[in-house]
Amino acid sequence: MSENRPKIGVYICHCGENIAGAVNVEEVKKFAEKLPDVVVVRDYLFMCSDPGQEIIKEDIRKGLVDRVVVAACTPRTHEPIFRKACEDAGLNKYYFEMANIRDQCSWAHWHEKEKATEKAKQLVAAAVAKARLLEPLEDRYVELNKDVMVIGGGIAGIFAALDLANAGFKVYLVEKAPSIGGNMAKLDKTFPTNDCSACILTPLMVEVANHPNIELITYAEVEAVEGTVGNFKVKVRKKQTWVDWEKCTGCGACTNVCPPKARVPDEFNEGLSLRGAIYIQFPQAVPKKAVVDIDACIKCAGREFGTEPRISKKTGEPILAPCEKVCPTGATDRTKPRDPNGELIELNVGAIIVATGYKVMDKKHFKEFAPDSPNVITAMQLERLISATGPTEGKLIVPSDIPKYQEWKKKVEKGEEVELEARKPHVITFVSCVGSRDDRYHSYCSKVCCMYMLKQAMLLKEKYPDLDIYIFFIDVRTPGKDFDEYYMRCRKLGIKIIKGKVGGVQRLPDERLLVKGYDADIGKPVELVSDMVVLATAIEPSDGLHDLARKLGISVGAEGFLRERHTKLYPVDTMTEGIFICGCAQGPKDIPDSVAQAKAAAASAMSLLAPGKMKVEPLISEVDQEKCVGCGICVPLCPYGAIEMVEVNGKRKSKINEALCKGCGVCTAACPSKAITLHGFTYDQVLAQIRTLAKGGVIEEVSE
Amino acid sequence: MELTEGVPPVIDLTEVAEREQEEFGKRVAEVIMEFGAENLIACMQCGACASICPLASVGFEWYNKKLIKALLIGMKEELLDDPTPWACVACNRCTEICPRRVSPFEVMFAMRRLMVEEFAIPTMTIEGMRTLYEKGHAVFFSGAGETRKKVGLPEKPPSTIAYPEALEELRTILKNTKLASLGLIPME
Repeated sequence: MSENRPKIGVYICHCGENIAGAVNVEEVKKFAEKLPDVVVVRDYLFMCSDPGQEIIKEDIRKGLVDRVVVAACTPRTHEPIFRKACEDAGLNKYYFEMANIRDQCSWAHWHEKEKATEKAKQLVAAAVAKARLLEPLEDRYVELNKDVMVIGGGIAGIFAALDLANAGFKVYLVEKAPSIGGNMAKLDKTFPTNDCSACILTPLMVEVANHPNIELITYAEVEAVEGTVGNFKVKVRKKQTWVDWEKCTGCGACTNVCPPKARVPDEFNEGLSLRGAIYIQFPQAVPKKAVVDIDACIKCAGREFGTEPRISKKTGEPILAPCEKVCPTGATDRTKPRDPNGELIELNVGAIIVATGYKVMDKKHFKEFAPDSPNVITAMQLERLISATGPTEGKLIVPSDIPKYQEWKKKVEKGEEVELEARKPHVITFVSCVGSRDDRYHSYCSKVCCMYMLKQAMLLKEKYPDLDIYIFFIDVRTPGKDFDEYYMRCRKLGIKIIKGKVGGVQRLPDERLLVKGYDADIGKPVELVSDMVVLATAIEPSDGLHDLARKLGISVGAEGFLRERHTKLYPVDTMTEGIFICGCAQGPKDIPDSVAQAKAAAASAMSLLAPGKMKVEPLISEVDQEKCVGCGICVPLCPYGAIEMVEVNGKRKSKINEALCKGCGVCTAACPSKAITLHGFTYDQVLAQIRTLAKGGVIEEVSE
Repeated sequence: MELTEGVPPVIDLTEVAEREQEEFGKRVAEVIMEFGAENLIACMQCGACASICPLASVGFEWYNKKLIKALLIGMKEELLDDPTPWACVACNRCTEICPRRVSPFEVMFAMRRLMVEEFAIPTMTIEGMRTLYEKGHAVFFSGAGETRKKVGLPEKPPSTIAYPEALEELRTILKNTKLASLGLIPME
């Protein structure tokens, strides 16, 4: 053996019983000792432990080995650990190779010990074959843009933005709606402390708006995302508001004069009331600005945008739309032309946090629960019905009488003395798991429904002790700090908890409802007549989440929520570096969990960006321009847009942008001239591995 | 008083709720709580009490857990014919096991009290009360004296049987309970 032959050390891990339980480590060891260029073979109970790593380091320091093969678990979790050990001992860390004899061997062949041992030998041989051909590589660094974009201005987005901004990072907070606040702004009170939702949320919204490090971009959506970690280019579409926000003071005068013909269901009140075509999203909106819903606008007085008003022959005055006429600042002036597509802006950021929240399922999906009845409502609608900013200012009446309430209110505002003739509910029934835990809709548990039903029942029962409240559950799920105590408080208030899901609701002629349920404790069907039925409909991903995920290049789970990199260890990371997720975009969760995740996502973004530069593995592709024939096949194949054709000495050649290349190898495999090398996975290295496996673990001599 | 014929196949919760309001002006659960089962409403229907209840294990229908649930939703009439509460042996294993300190045994006995108020008492129980008043024992074996003698004991046990003055004291006590005002058994 000549002096410059590689000296390979093979280190076999037992992984406790995980590997040794199926693989005969002693046999693999004896086999490995006979492989070419292998000088040392050792085994240990846990190779990744400190003493395990020390075995490797010691051999390197003594000069016994200059290539390291660890036969253990997956490189995905453990390669960095062993590379670091090599580096610490003074060896170029790319002189390291890993054989996965756990996930791909012992675990997969647990009941076939002989075959598992045989496979482990072959995997070790293949790793050794590659290790003989390894080359030293140097890490490279990329500069990171320290600005962060947060997509979604609900409670999760607000906290992520505030934490980053307070730490000195510039944040762009992009929100689809005219105001930040999200779903939490719709809630009346929040469990388990029954704080008023607006009271705890509004100050945070104001803090976001006033923060010098936060640029608030509402009524806007992400249109395209390019680039990679540290250097994302995000195109954001600012939707046309049709109101001059520079001038709008949020006084709301325009919203009051918008005529009845232009009124449409109010999204903020979950359709329980109507809003004008020009509207302010809700009273505590931040920013408090009006927008025109151009599809609903009937262009009073023929006032199309970008036209001059007609002049009245009688008065000689211009004839304006009511919203224009009433505006004290001229913000609603329709004379100026406006682009229906709004404005496209481009922002450069180093990291992106996705906090797009959720929506609740509509009742219309559930024919068995009489969705046509106005008195069957979703729990989110009940939130609005009991909220002081809701369609009845928080007065509890059956939803079928909301129009009566609003007529009454108009009369009272005109100074008439009239009695409100709206029916108050005496019996309210809650139905759990509507669309959740149901294979016809969503297999998952929406997680917050048990608690919010208990909350709503508690608030109602405390305010109106004579109300008879039934909650039909499949199971009451209250895991959380102070949650079960909350549940018991409900029971002790006399709320009737019945185990068994409701199977049907019938609309009665008097707009009451016949509820058909089952009491599993007694073992009999039950029936009752209820004034209102509240459906705890499932939490679903927000509209457009799939689209956004595609733009960002992050994955979506089978249930439709964003998928985290690792459920336990990387819960706010995605498979795309530099993009983090939090709140209900990742899965149903309550406010405490959303806030905790938002803060985790902010902290993760901070620890990524704070150093200002990032070490990047040199395992990327490189074009040998001598060999490149300029066919350009590689260009459209690159998923990261890292390849472009350039002119070299008058000839078309392919060139790879080092900062963008992620080392996926697609171009390398596709290049017909073999002009592209993927460092760390060269042709010779990969072919040596394959040949070794094909020959049942026999390593061929490398041809010079 | 009109007795219903047990529990119907479908329970009408609306009717049940209206009935409890009409009759008591409050929830049946509250009445039972006043009758001694103070923590009835804390029950979460876990079923631990039923798992060890001798009544449940021999097939009585309205054992502790089910009785509690029926009371919580306001049932009463439907349960008056049921003998289960009278069969409770007061072993109190349910009280020990209950994670919510409901004391299902207390519920059983509160139910007995409610049933007595409604004159919904099994004949067997009235017989027992009569024997209690007459002999000082709810259950009394008249032939026990011979057996006692055989094993060398005095013919009469050292209770109200052997001590007529003690029987008198017991009768005085019984005459001062609600039992006297109900007139279920003759009390001289």
